Amino acid sequence: MATSIAAAGGSAPGTPKKALISQRQRAFRSFMRNKAAVVGAVMIVFLVIMAVFAPWIAPYDPLVQSTINKFQGPSSAHWLGTDDYGRDVLSRIIWGTRVALQVGIFSVIIGAVIGITLGVTAGYFGGVIDNVLMRIVDIMLSFPDLITGLLVMAVLGAGKTKLIIAIGLTVAPRFARIAYGPVLGLKETEYIEAARAIGQSTPKIINRHILPNIAGEMIVLGSLWTASAIRLEASLSFIGLGVPPPTPTWGQMIRDGAVRLSDLPLLSLAPGAALLIAVFAFNLVGDGLRDVLDPRAN
Amino acid sequence: MAITRRQFTQLIGVGAIGAAVFKAPAAFAQDGGTLRIAMNTSDIGNLDPHFASGSQDRAIVDMIFNGLVRYVPGKSDEFEADLAEAIPDPVTNDDGTQSWTFTLKSGVKTHATDGADSADLTVDDLLFSFTKAANAETSAYAGNYAGWAFAAGDGENEFVVTVPVPISTSLFLPNVANYSGGYVIPQAAFEAVGAEAFVSHPVGTGPFAFVAHTPQLSVELTAHADFFRGAPQLAGVNVMFQADATARELALQAGDYDVIYGVSESSWAQRLDDLDGFTADVFGVGEVVWLNFNIEHDILKDVKVREAIFKAISRDNYVALSGAPVGEKVFSVVPAFLPGGLSEEDAEAAGVNYQQDIEGAKALLAEAGYPDGFELDMIASEQTAYRTTSEVLQEELRQIGITVNLEVVQHATMHELIRQDRNAITIYIAFRPTADIYLTQFFSTDGGVTNFSKFTVNDLRDQARGELDADAQAELWRQANIEILQNYAGYGLMFQNQVFVRRDEVDYGHELTAVVQLYPGINETTSMG
Repeated sequence: MATSIAAAGGSAPGTPKKALISQRQRAFRSFMRNKAAVVGAVMIVFLVIMAVFAPWIAPYDPLVQSTINKFQGPSSAHWLGTDDYGRDVLSRIIWGTRVALQVGIFSVIIGAVIGITLGVTAGYFGGVIDNVLMRIVDIMLSFPDLITGLLVMAVLGAGKTKLIIAIGLTVAPRFARIAYGPVLGLKETEYIEAARAIGQSTPKIINRHILPNIAGEMIVLGSLWTASAIRLEASLSFIGLGVPPPTPTWGQMIRDGAVRLSDLPLLSLAPGAALLIAVFAFNLVGDGLRDVLDPRAN
Repeated sequence: MAITRRQFTQLIGVGAIGAAVFKAPAAFAQDGGTLRIAMNTSDIGNLDPHFASGSQDRAIVDMIFNGLVRYVPGKSDEFEADLAEAIPDPVTNDDGTQSWTFTLKSGVKTHATDGADSADLTVDDLLFSFTKAANAETSAYAGNYAGWAFAAGDGENEFVVTVPVPISTSLFLPNVANYSGGYVIPQAAFEAVGAEAFVSHPVGTGPFAFVAHTPQLSVELTAHADFFRGAPQLAGVNVMFQADATARELALQAGDYDVIYGVSESSWAQRLDDLDGFTADVFGVGEVVWLNFNIEHDILKDVKVREAIFKAISRDNYVALSGAPVGEKVFSVVPAFLPGGLSEEDAEAAGVNYQQDIEGAKALLAEAGYPDGFELDMIASEQTAYRTTSEVLQEELRQIGITVNLEVVQHATMHELIRQDRNAITIYIAFRPTADIYLTQFFSTDGGVTNFSKFTVNDLRDQARGELDADAQAELWRQANIEILQNYAGYGLMFQNQVFVRRDEVDYGHELTAVVQLYPGINETTSMG
């Protein structure tokens, strides 16, 4: 457990601050030695730059149509050609990065907040609360991701915010389940009992002693689930339940291009490649973080 | 018997060659001549012909049922007798009504089904069927028969249809033809199956009889050997459901389908036509794509707003989606290929051939009190033609500052919601065989929930109904179309022809110019080489 606390940058009582900084630096150095993870991080930085600076990077307005110029192949004017409305495919992919990252990151944040709250509450308090909360989590986990997303979208309707909530609710039980296990062990440790003995409040114990100790695993899970959330967003958009038109999304572009897959493959393959890169990047970083932060990986 | 290794190898070689030779044609064998046609939906809607409205339903019921008369196969503007011996001349009665006396052909056999053996079709069946078609509780097309009366005639096999005021042949015949309420349902079969089950178990008299419906997969039809025009050349027809266009295309090329519903896009059709062994047919009837503007909507009730939207629209943007010859412009809701539709010259002469003028549109919006535009919510269907039209309109309106919030829903859901007045601008795509039906369903008080614009041309429609001179009648319909445009209530964008792709071996048995049932027309003459 000591390894866990140290690796996660936790705050066991009496840990000197100098050592803590040193451990973070060690973790950073360890991450940087993982070439695959560094490549993933660079790819993510590249995607973030694309998303933030889309208005300046994209050669055209992604919404402007020119139907008489539809289905044009790659050219110097349109590097990846034009779609069925004559819109520039490259510009739409660049703008699509915004939606992918927004949905991927914010849905995981929502899922993490809900899931960790559920898991920690169930694990720390135990008893009836544990039984009720974890059975709810078990029920949610019994549905495949896409089905949960479909159900929630069917209730909420289409839209980016609703999509973020839908995917967040899909992700939440995963965080709850992973957070729950370590809390069961942590709450029995001597320093938690000591904190209780000196009269620290439950919220304080959770904030100062429980959460920092599960933070590493949650960060790893978050990075891996960001990749899954991006994929899930694309899947829901592909079946028409994602962000409504005209906002460009990769999943929608893949779907719209599929009908011309045999003669204009770039219409689908280009956004597909963007999706592949994003998912791959977050998975590489997730794996790298797991090597550094997850005690079980060590 | 012992064989050497060389003999064994030779045997295997000969066997392999033989298998290849005999297997090759088998790759195209059609289950004993069963044609497999893939439609662009995931399942049937309603196979009771008096309710059928989806293109997949219309295709299926057309193969199972007959009308007293029929559209000449492959054509939409010529009729010939079908169940009737001949097309009668109308007689004007002393009370001002008009009667049409049909003589039913002898020996027309109904399909057999559980509880009802095959039997001769009778005048009683005609009475039952037309009474059902004219009843709003048992038919979606009852409005077409308002005031009509049906009776057995004095002579053998005679059936008399009486209409309240004399109408022209062009208005009368579509209602007794193989389309919508004109399909004849045998009474005994309907009662044996039951109204509820009939929607997925139709029984008629046509060249193919219903066998089975596998939800989300197919409807199986078999040849009706006793069909009155002769036994079909095909052993049967399997109507397969595959909503995904790419999957349909790949399955056609893999030999899993013989005919597929195509993509309404000219370069797609050309690409498929260029493939060895396949032919893409582009044919009518064109389904009209038009916009209905709700003149009672909070914002759109201001005529300046509607005019501004008209000025934001360019038909070229819509037609380019399909490309010629799949898509062509229309200049009124009723297309110019039907009597009463406006040609470009007609629209120009009447001053209703509106052109795109973005700055003019913005100025009008500012005059109307919307210098910064406004937001509109719009329900759109997931079906390609509706979705693409919605997205082009969304972009055109964005250019004048109007933000359209699209909600893409399932096609059936869209139909339900637009009938609840959820859209200020309603896109509709449909073919109707006469101008009268377009105007009645969409621009008259008789249209009910499909009078999306709330604008009506009842007077002109009624005058046209009573006009027996075809030219004068068409002129009245044109006037109605001009009124619709002058009041910015409806805007015809384009018509979209049908695109189907077939293996070259498939011969429909007739020329393919235009088919009102929105599929290539499969009957007893259709064959596969």
